[in-house]
Amino acid sequence: MKMQRRLWFAAVVTALTLAGCGSSSDKGNSSSSAGSGELTVWVDAARLPVAQAYVKEHPDKKVKIVTFDGDGNGATSLQTKIQLWNRTGNGWPDVIFSEQVNDPVWMAQKPFEFAAPVKGLIPDNLLSQWPAPSTAQCTVNGTQYCVQDNLAQVVLWVNKKLMDKFHYTVPKTWQEWAALGQKVATEHPGYIVGTVGESFSHWIYLWGNQCPLEQLKGDNNLLINSSDSHCTRVATLLDPLIQNGTVPPLSVFTPDFAKKYGGADDKVLLMPGPSWYAQAVFDQTLHVPAGRITAAAPLQWESETPVTTGQVGGGPWIISKHSKNLQGAADFVIWATTVFNPTGKEARPGYPAYAPLAVKWLAAQASNKYYAADPTPALQAAATQVWQGWNLVTYPDQPVWSNTVVTQLVAGKSLSSQLQPLGDALAKAAEAAGYAVTRN
Amino acid sequence: MRSPATDEEIGGPAASSPRAQATRRRGLRRARGLPFVLLYLPFLIMFGIGPMIYAVVLAFTSDAGDWTGFRNFTRTIHDYRFLPAFQHILLYTSVWLGSLIVFVVGLALVLHGRANHVSSAFRFLFYMPGALAGAASVLVWLFMLDPSVSPGSFLLRHVLGSDLFVQSIAPGKLPFIFAMIAFWTGAGGWIVVMYGALNTIPHELEEAARIDGAGPVTIALRVKLPLIRKWIAYMAILSFATGTQLFVEPQLVNQASLGMVPDTWSSNQLAYQLAFRYGDFNGAAAISVDLLMIGLLGAVLVVTRTGLFRTEN
Repeated sequence: MKMQRRLWFAAVVTALTLAGCGSSSDKGNSSSSAGSGELTVWVDAARLPVAQAYVKEHPDKKVKIVTFDGDGNGATSLQTKIQLWNRTGNGWPDVIFSEQVNDPVWMAQKPFEFAAPVKGLIPDNLLSQWPAPSTAQCTVNGTQYCVQDNLAQVVLWVNKKLMDKFHYTVPKTWQEWAALGQKVATEHPGYIVGTVGESFSHWIYLWGNQCPLEQLKGDNNLLINSSDSHCTRVATLLDPLIQNGTVPPLSVFTPDFAKKYGGADDKVLLMPGPSWYAQAVFDQTLHVPAGRITAAAPLQWESETPVTTGQVGGGPWIISKHSKNLQGAADFVIWATTVFNPTGKEARPGYPAYAPLAVKWLAAQASNKYYAADPTPALQAAATQVWQGWNLVTYPDQPVWSNTVVTQLVAGKSLSSQLQPLGDALAKAAEAAGYAVTRN
Repeated sequence: MRSPATDEEIGGPAASSPRAQATRRRGLRRARGLPFVLLYLPFLIMFGIGPMIYAVVLAFTSDAGDWTGFRNFTRTIHDYRFLPAFQHILLYTSVWLGSLIVFVVGLALVLHGRANHVSSAFRFLFYMPGALAGAASVLVWLFMLDPSVSPGSFLLRHVLGSDLFVQSIAPGKLPFIFAMIAFWTGAGGWIVVMYGALNTIPHELEEAARIDGAGPVTIALRVKLPLIRKWIAYMAILSFATGTQLFVEPQLVNQASLGMVPDTWSSNQLAYQLAFRYGDFNGAAAISVDLLMIGLLGAVLVVTRTGLFRTEN
């Protein structure tokens, strides 16, 4: 009897620990916006200035700003939060910004059903100014559920100062780029022509080169074919460069990277990367001084046309369908995407998705002293070249890439040998999310 | 019919009287103890027993509330993340628990043999890392494991063979890394507890052993160790439950490594993901019940093997 009671005690300790863990992450909920005038907005750190600027411009409006990880690197914070809000029946914010371009896909569907259709909330004459591919990415089952903050087309970032110093010409094709990588390894070891250690490196190298890892065939049928020649040929191209250290499996957002390749004597010669790299990576993370960096057109595969490129981001604004202040929420989103456009150091980090704003932003970038040369022609050209064969799905693929491929690249394995495990892991993630998967 | 009655008559009065007395005494003790636990009881029911019953109910029902038997259990067992998560936990718990028992008991025994001021200084030193609880200690360890900022970078380079943070947290090293983090945050407290336990050993006993010719090592292993056996068992039970329910460390490293460590590394994380990402509260409850059973089983084994709650002499 006594022992039994003690056993219960142990069980209770067990349960307490379990209960404690379950609730530890529930904190930080915002209360739901009670009055019709109040607005709760969830943003990532990069979008905090927008929200703060809105508050400054509209002193009459009560806006509560909450910052969160933005679902960065494939985190699923929003899924867990929305699950909880749905379960408790309150607490939803009115507006959310997510770094994950695919978030609206699950937000629009069961069991989350969080996103409100934007038609009717944002006037049609504004909505029509977003480029068609951007609108398509926000459209789920025929209804548009978000507007993108920025376009995140991948271009080739070039360190003009270093390229001139080494007397190299900017590559136009992936083959020229790889040949240059080999040359750099022998002539200027320590310098790099890219990096493959990001949680989104597959979007840069595999998406841009038409590797079918997320291709919807019908509503719920997903093609994941990592042994497609479009995938294997990129891996074969990259492997020697990963091997010789000119494309290290290291993220630009790690202290290690900044220490090795950043700063005033930076060692980044070239880097395929999205449009927001100039400000967010080269300027603010690596502290590469002004007058060095510019953008070149996305790399082409041999002479194949049309040229396609990848996409890293394109974060959407989503309005909650539970909002008691839908008009206020829409007003915020309209202001953030079509009006907000400071200049100089506070300029928007990314290429605005809303076309009329993009024109103004590009004009400012063209004369921005940070660049060694005008990056806007390359950015503008790449905006329409994002490959459409990579669809948005309900699950995040970044962690799959990170923990199946990047960890192995760090351990010295080749990318070619990791394509099969990547396909397998993606297929499992897709099946767990409810997709029917085709592998070839 | 006759003989059992005779037995009772013979053995009855002599045997039942002390037993009845003992029962009465125990009843009295229980009544006196009641006010002490009364304040705790509502919380225990609300946050302990209640959620546990809720988890068990959820584990055996569907989201519509229908009885499903063991379907939630078989479904989660066949999840592709289930087996790796439990393998990680098994390896982690055995490494951690093993080092915890060996080092905590060893260090406590060594400390107990020292002069008082030396041992109190060391006790404080060992306790220090434990003052940083949970998440905070993990954050400190994230820096410790990054060769570019760590004060122990030469150790990382030569022992772990890592020049970069991503190499420190390579998948194969993770169970050991987490065991190390958990050891340094938890060991200090247990060393103090064990030291307290050693202090309850009567001095005469040690004296007697010494007169009989036992050296400090023999005293530690043959006299002190058996006497604190129950304390060790107690530590093992609590630590086993904590170990199998690992959550904070992998969760934070998942964020810090930009997703290189899966967010379903441990079984508790898998339960969390199932519940809050997939909305599968029943599957999550099934995994929680799995963990509860593992914890209970571990406790039963330790209790029966060590006679932890045997009160008679």
